[in-house]
Amino acid sequence: MMTQIVFYVFAAVLVLSATMVVCARNPVHSVLFLILAFFNAAGLFLIAGAEFLAMTLVIVYVGAVAVLFLFVVMMLDVRFAQMREGVQRYAPIGAAVGGVLLVELIMAFTHWRVAGNIGQITHLVPSSPTRTNTAALGDVLYTHYIFLFQTCALVLLVAMIGAIVLTLRDRPTGRRQNIDRQHDRIPQESLEMLQVPLGAGVAAQGGFLRPHDSYDVAAVPGTYGTEAWRAREAAEQTQTALVVITPAQGAKGQDDE
Amino acid sequence: MADFFFHTVIGQILLIVLESLAVLVPLLLGVAYLTLAERKVMAAMQLRKGPNVNGPFGVLQAFADAIKMLTKETVIPSGANRMLFLFAPFLTFSLAMVAWAVIPTGNGLAIANINVGVLYLLAISSLGVYGILIAGWASNSKYAFLGGLRSAAQMVSYEVSIGLVIVSVLLAVGSLNLNDIVLAQRHVWFCLPMFPMFIVFFISALAETNRAPFDLPEGESELVAGFFVEYSALAFGLFFLGEYANMFLMSGMVSILFLGGWLPPLGIAPFTWIPGPLWLIAKILFCLFVFIWVRATFPRYRYDQLMRLGWKVFLPFSLAWMVLSAGFLMVTGLLPGGAG
Amino acid sequence: MNWTLALPEIVLALSGLAILLAGVMQKRGQAFFSCAMMTLLAFVVTGVLVVISPDGTGYSHVFINDGFARFMKVLSLTGAALSLVLSVGYAREMEIDKFEFPVLILFSTLGAMIMASSGNLMTLFVGLELSSLSIYILCAFARDRVGAAEAGLKYFVLGSLASGILLYGISLAYGFAGTLEYAGLQQAVRGSAVLPAGLMVGIVFVLVGLCFKLSMVPFHMWTPDVYQGAPTSVTAYMAGAPKIAAFAVLLRVMAGPFGSMTPQWQLLIEVVSALSMVFGSLAAIPQGNIKRLMAYSSIGHMGYAMIGMAAGTAEGTRGTLVYLVTYLFMNVGAFAGIVAMRRNGRAVTRISDLAGLGRTDPGMALAMAIFMFSMAGAPPLAGFFGKLMVFYAAINAHLYALAAIGIVSSVIGAYYYIRIVKVMFFDTAVPALDRSPVSVSFVSVGMGLVTVFFVVGLGPVATAAQAAASALFR
Repeated sequence: MMTQIVFYVFAAVLVLSATMVVCARNPVHSVLFLILAFFNAAGLFLIAGAEFLAMTLVIVYVGAVAVLFLFVVMMLDVRFAQMREGVQRYAPIGAAVGGVLLVELIMAFTHWRVAGNIGQITHLVPSSPTRTNTAALGDVLYTHYIFLFQTCALVLLVAMIGAIVLTLRDRPTGRRQNIDRQHDRIPQESLEMLQVPLGAGVAAQGGFLRPHDSYDVAAVPGTYGTEAWRAREAAEQTQTALVVITPAQGAKGQDDE
Repeated sequence: MADFFFHTVIGQILLIVLESLAVLVPLLLGVAYLTLAERKVMAAMQLRKGPNVNGPFGVLQAFADAIKMLTKETVIPSGANRMLFLFAPFLTFSLAMVAWAVIPTGNGLAIANINVGVLYLLAISSLGVYGILIAGWASNSKYAFLGGLRSAAQMVSYEVSIGLVIVSVLLAVGSLNLNDIVLAQRHVWFCLPMFPMFIVFFISALAETNRAPFDLPEGESELVAGFFVEYSALAFGLFFLGEYANMFLMSGMVSILFLGGWLPPLGIAPFTWIPGPLWLIAKILFCLFVFIWVRATFPRYRYDQLMRLGWKVFLPFSLAWMVLSAGFLMVTGLLPGGAG
Repeated sequence: MNWTLALPEIVLALSGLAILLAGVMQKRGQAFFSCAMMTLLAFVVTGVLVVISPDGTGYSHVFINDGFARFMKVLSLTGAALSLVLSVGYAREMEIDKFEFPVLILFSTLGAMIMASSGNLMTLFVGLELSSLSIYILCAFARDRVGAAEAGLKYFVLGSLASGILLYGISLAYGFAGTLEYAGLQQAVRGSAVLPAGLMVGIVFVLVGLCFKLSMVPFHMWTPDVYQGAPTSVTAYMAGAPKIAAFAVLLRVMAGPFGSMTPQWQLLIEVVSALSMVFGSLAAIPQGNIKRLMAYSSIGHMGYAMIGMAAGTAEGTRGTLVYLVTYLFMNVGAFAGIVAMRRNGRAVTRISDLAGLGRTDPGMALAMAIFMFSMAGAPPLAGFFGKLMVFYAAINAHLYALAAIGIVSSVIGAYYYIRIVKVMFFDTAVPALDRSPVSVSFVSVGMGLVTVFFVVGLGPVATAAQAAASALFR
């Protein structure tokens, strides 16, 4: 009885918040409703006795994925009016497709039936009351499904490669340090101790002195402000000048359309 | 009496409420005095006196602060998202409270002794970022927003190494239940065989609670207080309480995962006279002292250094250690069976 | 557990990781060529391992290796290796010569191989995701060009939707049988007198998801834009290995677990196939951009290949396999020609840019003409035999209407293929194209020879395809 009430509460809130994800005017609110939906899904998992899945859902989706969603959505300058321009035009089609799908699914589920001989089909994991489902999941995941597990790891690796290859840029203004070199430095190398006469100021001694190599020493060669960077910058300037003289060279690799 | 509490619905609910109060009241009192302790300890380290006006040695300072905070006016900036603006501090505060449901203060002595306790803790601590992110965004202020973003990136980064550290502890225990984790340390606390992980976890806990030297989200010198720059009065107080309660929580996690929870250092006579909960409290207080000590000692990290430490040092290191300890347990046959 | 069954996949995955590491270690900007060569080597080694790999199922039935899987894997590896050769010179000119490029092609091919060997719907899905995710990234690889970014994004969004539908279908099938293994599903379907509507919906969803990857009408919307926007060598890859893998799982799933309910899904396949053929032929006619034209052409070709599947017999499957072989070779050859289309260091993709190629570069014009005639299905080139075998299978399976539509649409299709030949040889010349890189000429000539002399190798190919098809219908 109690479980049923809790189930319906979780389910109702889940459906409502999922609807609000789509309907909310403000995308930040949408993401927050999405998080609420995740929570309720986790609650449903708990009711089903899958406590490991419930916690993993919260940790992975709410704790990491949705944070990044929120991160991005908050930083985007979304123009709502522009986003909603097409809604009026495409709403009927979308509603029609959704409606057809809904009717089909209702038809499918009202006559739901499992295979007649389901008892004869071999299933991998016999359920056992003495094992927690965390242990059971681990047993299956790392033995029977090790191939799939490792392939999923490759999928994630590819996603990581993609994120790097599509977004990482060498910024010409980036200042990067060689951390080991920076740690190795001692004050005697990088600081110059001056005896300043009382009341005379430091202007006479050339103002505040800073050893001119102090940045170069710890910087990654080629990053902003280093010798190598200056040399490259000078070379690039020469090249730019050449392009100005012969504009026919143009940009490479562009389509002509 | 026992019948009432264990066999009627109202009694059961009442029992839960009483249990919660038994944890929350000392916790809140502890939080109030932690703020005072921090000021006193830091003052001592910096050869000052610290608060000493309200009551003897300033012991009433915490209450003076509370009254001040409660009686001030709540200012909501124009253009702020009111609902979220007020929701954020409540979220931060209540998350820091609900996590205590699973912390065992003695053998089997937790409000909820659940099978996946450590995952529950990880989940709750990973939610902490929302309070800050929402506060930063809803304030409609650049400084607050920058603070919120910094915090989000920082906490998500350090959660990864926290997770790996926890996994290497779990490998040695063979259960996700916090009670089992403590009991597995009967012979030796995990802080000895896993000393590097203990250090990694503690430093990550500093980053996770936005404490110095990782307090960039509130960096007062460049962000004038970061994500809660627009908060005042009660809402500010809730943030404040939430932050310190989080410190308690992290100290509790450190104590349970590495310092043997409620167990005495040695299972012999003079130590076993002291009841378990007091041991746990003592360990938590020790961790809190280190939190404050670190704050008084180290300068703030630069943002790129913070990220480098999290991703390029802690993550590979804890991953390598996890693989190493798994291999070690496998080879020596110490790996606990997956019964838990 | 017989883990050595997946030795080719394991070797390919490990060499992918090694190449990635080698690429990171080398100086940026210089790693591309060596990584590409290592990837080619890995493809060759994997190909040999595939050919000598034994039959059987492994990893608790999630992985099947049989004649069919070997055939498809070798085909995918060939397609991937050829398109990688195409990209060696091209990537440098397009300034996308980063070492991740060959690595992503490698992982995508690995996904295709896993799909071909799937013995479980989960394997299918994971392999499909590995393959598709790499392609999404490859499409957007020239990230500073608007077209490439659009292609990547469009493919990603629509592809995710298709994956979602596929996954939904899989979960409905699971709800019916309680297992995801092909063998278990087959047992459940065979043993049930009445099949519930839920399972039918599930099968349709699985079909829709896979048809999206194959760009069959009516799930083809993404194809022209993605083909046009993606770097040409990536387009050449996309038209090869992933489609072969998608066909592999489609054939395996439809012949295996759902094989006993052929009458229920056959009509669906026929309609999709007929629509693809007709649409591919008609929509290609007004195209001015050769990459878009190739997109519509590939829609049509997938339609022809599916005729064999609609037949639902071993003979039809054999026809599909032979068709895929011919399609792979002539397609890569045609794309070699498109990759070589550069003028003054800039890529050009309009059909009118080919005008007068017969005079300025007769060799390349001849090769292109061969591929176009082959695609149109002119005897005695490769494309003719592929079409012949699928039409033959369709007639034997009494699918007369489908065969008739196929013949009519290939006659219509011949118009736009031959139009390109006409532009190359009879239109007024525009300034000559740049000299093509050696690797491109190599692929072009090689594929040209294969296409012309396919009739010589038809016997062995047909025998191998027969063996593969009979492995499926055992």
